[in-house]
Amino acid sequence: MQKNYFLGKLFALLILSAALVLMGTLLGSMGASWNLSETDQTVLFDIRLPRSLGAYLAGALLGLAGGIAQSLFRNPLADPYLLGSASGALLGVGGILCFAYLGNSWLEIIGLNGGAFLGALFGVMASLLLAGGYRSSLRLLLSGVVISVILGAANSLFTFIRPDLFQSIQSFMLGNTTLLNWPGVEIMAIALLICLLISVIISPVLDALSLGENTARTLGLPLDQLRLILIGILALATGCAVAQTGLVAFVGLAAPHLVRKFSGGRQRVQLLFSSLGGGILLLSSDLIARTLFAPIEIPVGVVTAVLGGLYLLILLRRTSLGVRS
Amino acid sequence: MKTCQLTVYRGPCAILSDLNIDIPQGKWTSIIGPNGAGKSSLLQAMAGLLKWDGSITIDKVHLSAFTPKDLAKKIAWLDQGSSNSEEFDDFFSVYDTVMLGRIPHQGWLHLPSDADHISVESALQQTDAWHLRHRPLQQLSGGERQRVLLARMLAVDSDILLMDEPLANLDPPHQSDFLKWQGDLLTQGKTLVTVLHEIHFALRADHLVMLSKGKLHFQGSNQDPRTHQALIELFDGRIRLEKLGDDWVALPK
Amino acid sequence: MLYRYLAIGFALFLLGLSLGIFAAPVSVTDDRGVSVVFDKPPQRVVSLLPSLTESVCALGKCSTLVGIDRFSNWPKSIQGLPKLGGIGDINIERIVQLKPDVVLLEKASPVIARLNGLGIKTFALDVKSMNDEERALQKLDAVLGSSESTRVWNQIQQEIMRASKQLSSREKNTSVYFEVNPAPFAAGSTSFIGEILSRLNLVNIIPKSLGPFPKINPEFVVQAKPDVILLAESTVADIQKRPGWSSIPAVSDNRICVFTGEQNDVLVRPGPRMGEAALIISQCIQEKMSSSQ
Repeated sequence: MQKNYFLGKLFALLILSAALVLMGTLLGSMGASWNLSETDQTVLFDIRLPRSLGAYLAGALLGLAGGIAQSLFRNPLADPYLLGSASGALLGVGGILCFAYLGNSWLEIIGLNGGAFLGALFGVMASLLLAGGYRSSLRLLLSGVVISVILGAANSLFTFIRPDLFQSIQSFMLGNTTLLNWPGVEIMAIALLICLLISVIISPVLDALSLGENTARTLGLPLDQLRLILIGILALATGCAVAQTGLVAFVGLAAPHLVRKFSGGRQRVQLLFSSLGGGILLLSSDLIARTLFAPIEIPVGVVTAVLGGLYLLILLRRTSLGVRS
Repeated sequence: MKTCQLTVYRGPCAILSDLNIDIPQGKWTSIIGPNGAGKSSLLQAMAGLLKWDGSITIDKVHLSAFTPKDLAKKIAWLDQGSSNSEEFDDFFSVYDTVMLGRIPHQGWLHLPSDADHISVESALQQTDAWHLRHRPLQQLSGGERQRVLLARMLAVDSDILLMDEPLANLDPPHQSDFLKWQGDLLTQGKTLVTVLHEIHFALRADHLVMLSKGKLHFQGSNQDPRTHQALIELFDGRIRLEKLGDDWVALPK
Repeated sequence: MLYRYLAIGFALFLLGLSLGIFAAPVSVTDDRGVSVVFDKPPQRVVSLLPSLTESVCALGKCSTLVGIDRFSNWPKSIQGLPKLGGIGDINIERIVQLKPDVVLLEKASPVIARLNGLGIKTFALDVKSMNDEERALQKLDAVLGSSESTRVWNQIQQEIMRASKQLSSREKNTSVYFEVNPAPFAAGSTSFIGEILSRLNLVNIIPKSLGPFPKINPEFVVQAKPDVILLAESTVADIQKRPGWSSIPAVSDNRICVFTGEQNDVLVRPGPRMGEAALIISQCIQEKMSSSQ
């Protein structure tokens, strides 16, 4: 009986996702235009389709990372950026921009996207190193905060020295879906596939951890290795998403909450649905960002913050007013 | 199960030292002692959760010789019944919780097999929680929850069951239920080791292990006449033992 | 009779030949060092930087503009063109829909790669100093097929000369402080604003070593005590509130040049209106210095 419900829900989410992608190709700078023949079809499939797919995939990566973060740290306020990946990505982008004038061929190959990705990985690795591996959740979280602060200070210093780069870094910080192209979509699709597959396979360790650390260990699971793998997936997924779309707020935080009621508690389902939910959230935000004040585009990060924030507000009200046993 | 020259470490400190303990198979052993004697630490060491020196053997096989998975099939653990109420696991169902006990038996994909389903059902029936199976764990009362966690431990189908203060958060009716299930488990031939601080329960066990200040004070069966004396010494003579019906009760002097 | 026809025919032939030569593809290197090839002069131009918009119009090619950025607002004739965004929110889709032959933008623009990926020609120009603008005008000449850059440049120089002459010898060597925004960012000697100031024989209190647009410590201005303060953004009220600034004679005697929004646009754009900028500055200096006589 439970199996059927799961398939049904999965199907519903996938159909919703497909519908949104379809809408993404129809909605553009002209507001809602249902007249495809009027616009240059090939070109818009080169812009709108990769942008819509890209927004969905980036959201899915962030949703998955957020789901992992919340389950791993057993903290409903965790998000994918908390292990220093956000400030690391910023520093990476700043670094590439700063040294771009050198014209080094390496820098050209890496590009801004590569810089963001490497920076994000660097941030997480630094947190892991500082915490001395995964010894306790609290320790890791704290070192994540420390690294974020240190790298954040480095970023502030950086923008002070190079104020001309501030605008570029700023637009990266808010999150930006306008530059998504097919190569980016391909990279994210591959990353999502790998990350989803691995996390879904090893997700029972997260279920076991809900019984307590001691009990989980006595069930014979290699806890430390599995947790490290999950952190690696978190870093990879966040890095890929951030490399393509910048630091979009709230998707990683809100998506797992949005789907928690549907997923019925098992982490395998929860992570999968968080991923799909994140994709739906970011793509919907992108559609709103494009069409609300067309032809002016709002930064997508603003829309996700508003949507996500509103939802969390509703959630908060419901838990304070609702009956808890 | 048997330990020899066992020293247990928590972090860099040696909590327990030089323990030679025999846990008889198929019987109920209770570990008892004043606060801070290291009871939980001993149990955790036996489950492989703490660092130790010396030897722990099960049926003459060293603990370290077991792979984690095999050890997990041999020993099942029941944690202290803490009120683990995180709003987090709001929707985790009873059935899925008990299914977690089957993890040691599952392949790397952790897909439940028919044997797993049978085990889970039998565990839930044994603890009279079958009717709760679809309820989310959070919605249960303390007693119901303890039953589910016990069922989770049973689902492992292990021979040795280690339990850390299983009766602590239960009210008397549920305590008596628990003791009844323990009895059923014993007739099935399982070996039970529990850490208890309730002396009247400990005295019902077949075998008692008494710890004091990190060392073994006494171990013996509850039929052994020296046991009661050792128990009184353990608590510095500040208790007296009275017989009440079939049970012995410990009262402060 | 026959000879006349032959002569006309030959002339036409020469005309056609020369047109053919002129129609040959032009290759111009932009400020990134990239060689951009144009088979014929672009008829549809998008400009994403106000100074470039103004330069295109100054070269007489205003009619080729089909899209501009949000901040371009001069000359009036372009104000009806589609606005394609500011710095962080360039609308790629609309640019593509406009089917431009070339997009003019700055070197650091984040959309270059994406536009190139969609097959749109981009031409990047970085204008920070007066030399940069001279070079930009020449390159735009080559790109757009005009030949007005020399004339435009000479006009700018003449206007600057005129502005300089307007200042009496007493007003020359006035020390000035030009503030670009209230952070405070100041215009240093190596910026185009600084160059205009030195062409007017005004002394910039910001030393050369600090670079084109340094963020300075307000205390520095208090110590340097400029004769006139020029504010690009009108934050007059705040000026009085800055600690120690009331002791600067320029502040207490109100020798502060506050510019209107329109004047601001002229002053902070390194484009063809730099001559006009010089005139605005010299006019203000004259007013302030003469009023305090």
